[in-house]
Amino acid sequence: MAGSRYVNSDNLLVLENLSLGYNKTIYSNINANACAAQTIAVVGANGTGKSTLLRSLCGILPYRSGKIELYGKEIKKYKASQLAQVVSFVPSQSPRAKNFSLFDMLATSCYSRTNWIGKIDRQDSVKIEETLVKVGLEGFGKRDISTLSDGEFQRAAIARSLVQDSHIILLDEPTAFLDIANKITITKLLANIAANEKKTIVFSTHDLQLAIKLCDKIWIMGYNGFIQDTPDRLIEKGAFDKIFKDSSLKFDPNLFTFV
Amino acid sequence: MKAKGKYFTIYSLIIISLSIFIALNLLLGSVLFPVKDIIAAIFGGEAPEYVSNILFSHRIPKAITALLAGAALSVCGLQMQTLFRNPLADPYILGISSGAGLGVAIFVMGFSAFGITLSSSIAANVGTVVAAWLGAFGVTLLILMVSSRLKESISLLIFGIMIASVTGAIISLIQYFSSSAQLKVFVVWTMGSFSGLSPTNIWIMFIVILTGFAMTVFNIKDLNALLLGEAYAKSLGVNLERTRRSILVATTLLAGSVTAFCGPIGFIGIAVPHIARMLFRNADHKVLVPATAILGATIMIIADTISQMPGQPEVLPINTVSALLGVPVILYIIMKSKIS
Repeated sequence: MAGSRYVNSDNLLVLENLSLGYNKTIYSNINANACAAQTIAVVGANGTGKSTLLRSLCGILPYRSGKIELYGKEIKKYKASQLAQVVSFVPSQSPRAKNFSLFDMLATSCYSRTNWIGKIDRQDSVKIEETLVKVGLEGFGKRDISTLSDGEFQRAAIARSLVQDSHIILLDEPTAFLDIANKITITKLLANIAANEKKTIVFSTHDLQLAIKLCDKIWIMGYNGFIQDTPDRLIEKGAFDKIFKDSSLKFDPNLFTFV
Repeated sequence: MKAKGKYFTIYSLIIISLSIFIALNLLLGSVLFPVKDIIAAIFGGEAPEYVSNILFSHRIPKAITALLAGAALSVCGLQMQTLFRNPLADPYILGISSGAGLGVAIFVMGFSAFGITLSSSIAANVGTVVAAWLGAFGVTLLILMVSSRLKESISLLIFGIMIASVTGAIISLIQYFSSSAQLKVFVVWTMGSFSGLSPTNIWIMFIVILTGFAMTVFNIKDLNALLLGEAYAKSLGVNLERTRRSILVATTLLAGSVTAFCGPIGFIGIAVPHIARMLFRNADHKVLVPATAILGATIMIIADTISQMPGQPEVLPINTVSALLGVPVILYIIMKSKIS
């Protein structure tokens, strides 16, 4: 499966022999693909390059060699404004400007389709209000974003992507800095978006249980190579044991966690 | 809609106080004119000749220069603070003013080394301006060249501080070898002044600053995207390289021309955007850019009114007054917000 070429429109995203890094290679030989409306988790030990992979996929970082194709067209050939309509990014933490309302923050997400001064039209303003309802932040539009709680801000950051309305949403550890209640809220929200919005979601996480329960597919950035497959088949293959170099860590296929 | 009404009130208040301070600025100088004479002189009535002379050849040009400089420096500071996500960024900190200073120092004091004396005041004037421009432009070019390599905004600020140190060292060296007369010319330039600009100078300054403002207005959309971090801005489709270039060119046009014509004026560029943020409580640049411009003009005209010491023959250097007005605001900001 890996390595072959797809021109099928189902294959939104194709990675071919991808090597990550700028001056030196961080991780190489990534072969993977993502189809429309799939939910995909990226797992791997700290420092393997999950963040770098996600940032390369949306053009924030350059990559070393290989190919990243979106709709059969190489990412380097996209104009910045076109790329923004195909893929959006939710960083694990963002700077929060003071005195900036949630509504205004979401208005910046219309960047690629607004006029020269960034004024949003009626349609977008309706879309923003609808999105606030979707992520459970109804009535928060006028709130100063620096006063939002971490959980609320993460939902707001996901709302940004929904307003940007890209086909693919990339999230860098969306639940890393959240408590258990907020973690569940965000997870449910992601599952909801995948089901109702027909978006392709790719997120990095350390939470294997979540990944196995929620995702159609998992990309494992193992210590000795990249593997992609459905959660069931990965469990069967014992692929999760390849995440960590430490062989004393064993994946329990019943508990979905390391013991 | 309610918010718009609120902004309208604040804008009106600023514009009213701006008008009052412009009137005071024209009224209060070393010589105090009767109000009726000033009104008569402006609206073409009967006024003593000395009043209209001083008014049209000195006070009005000086007020216009002060308004332009205040607006330009403040808008410059606002853009740099957003671009570098640093509340203390401004042309002064980034070394653009130091570059201008080095240009002027080389021009004013360096030429004696080649035995050239600048007797004609016009040549000296034009030369000073051009030298300051070149210096400011040189530093901006340097910042542009390294800004793509220095990913961290903090390192760019350190770069600016280093530029200031290097230019400072070279200036001290030049000062060491220069005559006391030349030294005086340079020191007077560093104190800053809004007077002595010819109508042509003011026109040039006006046009360049207007260009800078026009570019700033086109930067508004990108500036708003930058509020949420560079990574996110980039994923929105912002062309970071182009945005950086566009902001730095606009700031050089604005700060470079003010420094060239009026000397390095510090603290206004840092303080005014913060005052605007406090008054308007909105980080949206569609609100902040015009707010900062008129607030900057207002504060600069106040500084200039103080510096001309009403009723006294002496004049304070504008840099002293701007520091006295600006530094408390900056200290308040540092105390209030924990800048890590």
